Amino acid sequence: MINVVVVGGGWAGCAAALAAAKAGAQVVLLERTDLLLGTGLVGGIFRNNGRFTAAEEAIAMGGGDLFVAMDANSRHRGIHFPGHSHASFYDVTTMEPLVKKILQNYGIDVRSRTRVANVVKYRKKIQYLVNDNDEIIQGDAFVDTTGTSGPMGNCLKYGNGCAMCILRCPTFGPRVSITAKADVKEIIGKKADGSYGAMSGSCKINKDSLRPELKDQLEKEGMVVIPLPENLKKTGMLGKKACSQYAIADYAENIVLIDTGHAKLMTPFFPLDALRTIPGLERARYEDPYSGGVGNSIRYLGMAPCSHSLKVDGVDNLFCAGEKAGIMVGHTEAVVTGLLAGHNAVRCCLDMQYLELPSELAAGDFIAFIHEQMTTEEGLRLRYTFSGSVYFERMKKLELYSSQRGEVNDRVTKTNLTDIYNTCLV
Amino acid sequence: MLNKLLMSCIDINSPYCPCLLSQTNHCTFCSHLKGELVCDCNWSGVCILYEKQWQQKKPRWTNDADSPVRLESDTEFIIKQKIAEHTYLLEIEVLPALAQSLAKCGSFIFMRRPSDQQFYHFPVGVMKVDGNNIQVVIEGAGPKSSRLFTDGNRQVLVRGPYFNGIFGQPWIDNVDNGKILLIAGGMGQPPAVPIARKLLTNGNSVKAILAPGKIGTVFIAAELAVLGIQVQEVTSMRQFGMHALAEILADPEACPELIVSAGPDSQHYGIIAAMQAAGVNLPMAATNNTTMCCGEGICGSCERLTRNNSRVRTCKVQADFSQFIQE
Ligand SMILES: Cc1cc2nc3c(=O)[nH]c(=O)nc-3n(C[C@H](O)[C@H](O)[C@H](O)COP(=O)(O)OP(=O)(O)OC[C@H]3O[C@@H](n4cnc5c(N)ncnc54)[C@H](O)[C@@H]3O)c2cc1C
Ligand code: FES
Repeated sequence: MINVVVVGGGWAGCAAALAAAKAGAQVVLLERTDLLLGTGLVGGIFRNNGRFTAAEEAIAMGGGDLFVAMDANSRHRGIHFPGHSHASFYDVTTMEPLVKKILQNYGIDVRSRTRVANVVKYRKKIQYLVNDNDEIIQGDAFVDTTGTSGPMGNCLKYGNGCAMCILRCPTFGPRVSITAKADVKEIIGKKADGSYGAMSGSCKINKDSLRPELKDQLEKEGMVVIPLPENLKKTGMLGKKACSQYAIADYAENIVLIDTGHAKLMTPFFPLDALRTIPGLERARYEDPYSGGVGNSIRYLGMAPCSHSLKVDGVDNLFCAGEKAGIMVGHTEAVVTGLLAGHNAVRCCLDMQYLELPSELAAGDFIAFIHEQMTTEEGLRLRYTFSGSVYFERMKKLELYSSQRGEVNDRVTKTNLTDIYNTCLV
Repeated sequence: MLNKLLMSCIDINSPYCPCLLSQTNHCTFCSHLKGELVCDCNWSGVCILYEKQWQQKKPRWTNDADSPVRLESDTEFIIKQKIAEHTYLLEIEVLPALAQSLAKCGSFIFMRRPSDQQFYHFPVGVMKVDGNNIQVVIEGAGPKSSRLFTDGNRQVLVRGPYFNGIFGQPWIDNVDNGKILLIAGGMGQPPAVPIARKLLTNGNSVKAILAPGKIGTVFIAAELAVLGIQVQEVTSMRQFGMHALAEILADPEACPELIVSAGPDSQHYGIIAAMQAAGVNLPMAATNNTTMCCGEGICGSCERLTRNNSRVRTCKVQADFSQFIQE
């Protein structure tokens, strides 16, 4: 029996656990809080722009379970909003139990409120993990999907402080990087101005605190664009954002609200008093982070140096995915890398050659491109996503972008990777 | 969980954290306040960087050499009892806030004559707190402690509170409904009293072995007996106490869940050896006997080396006594 331990139950961890289970391993998924999905509990936007292509690739490769679940649980589909086409918004308030069920149906041992605090290594292999309670968790291969958000000290030093986000560090204890505990020197992302880290890019307003007409419109249309009053049009905030795809002028002139179960606002933070001067938002209050008037969580302060197979450099049985694997933003990005890392963790136990995604696929090109970019000072200041900014531009240029399911299927077929994630390797 | 708490600073979550060490990036706990780039702490429920951010607004640690770092009482002591030659039980009335903060086992204070130089300060464990009065036992042995009594002096400057008087404090705080063996010898007797009281509040049953030690007298036996502790007095810890211990350890019925050793380091090591001989490995809390000068983690006089080669400033940092390298 092959044992794979995945640490961090965000989208990346859920996908890694799923792929490892499908490939035939016995899988344990450890999550420090009481909820899976991590920052996916507050996002919701997927299938926008190139994310459509990436999702379809994963589906064609047999790793579609999570995308199918997102599709089934979407509040809105095929939405266009500034800079984005054919977006879907999954309902962030109901997504988590669904994903948990799927994982459990695959026999994955999901352990919440289990925070890994230490790693014990022998030579270049992780022997076991130790949690907060000094309990030992053994495995043959490990996947680090602990994300890069927080903890409090980082949010204070590189941001405006702990804004009380969905990660709830004071309650469940801070994020701990498995890679760092395995003595691997991590890579640190930067803001446009060169300072460390980046702020998360959006805050969520409680929908019931909107004026009823506005709430109705939002629920009917999926998104609402409200021009900003003259005095609020400022651009300074955009440079700090994690998501470069929203750092465009439309978002400085307007506020864009998106219905993800919350009313998602595309700005890292927005002083509450100012927010309440906008028509319809007179009574607005934040849902996540609770102090969205002041700040947001800081991310990208610790990424694992890794190969295109997502094996962490310097440790023979450690893989990584999601934000841990590079300066990438997004649920889709987390899922596609998670699938690869989980799958390769099983190959590691079987002494098989690792899977690398070819550059004919968007996901393969994406991973290779990020790794290349992260070797440069300039590249460390950008964020990468299928949905916009530099990478989406590149996708279009290389003709990797497609919103046609059939076309994506054909590409996957050509690379001989159809249903690869559905293949039991054991 | 307890092992984790064992390596943390005793001042965390007290009004004395963050301390002076945080200002020069020498905090024993927070990675940022050690000068590192990102978070990497052994989470204990509070973020020290945060505490620093908010507490900076309080003008606590000023650069004025004369401003007190903790509470200070310039007061008088009375000799309540002469316990042995040069050994006295003192009662001192201190500031209410100071007295209150010392009502916790493991607490200690620094004392000196108010007119003496700062470096005359010496640490003393607190035996009892009663209203604003605290009781301590002092053996006027060295140049500092004997100064206190010369020329009929009764003036004293008390500085406190300090908390790290016992290694393994989390075990004492968290054990409940357990069987505990308390071993106290000589000057280990005064700190044993608040430890005993604390242990009894959690429904534990406590057995004590008491020996006179160097000062030559057992003076807490009656007090412990009144609390409901089964007391065994021996004339020599080395000869008879350790023998009694060996018998207890050999008997699975009598074997405790926790041993608390109040006394000199030689006693602590004797107990560790007895456990090894009996093939048992019980958690042991032990009184902190290291030489201290500043009490604030600055001077380094209290530093001890552990088996995993880290240096611990024992005036502030908790540790498992058995992890120290024997000097
Ligand atoms: C406010 C906000 C809004 C966003 N909106 C969108 C959006 O609309 N669409 C989109 O595609 N992307 C969005 N993103 C980005 C996206 O959510 C993330 O990039 C992606 O979900 C990251 O997934 P991950 O699994 O790598 O990391 P995370 O989601 O950060 O997951 C890491 C998990 O690991 C756990 N963990 C950490 N340390 C330990 C440990 N030591 N032991 C056990 N568990 C541990 C954490 O609790 C957490 O659950 C948003 C991000 C934020 C912050
Ligand atoms: S007594 Fe000075 S550092 Fe501990």
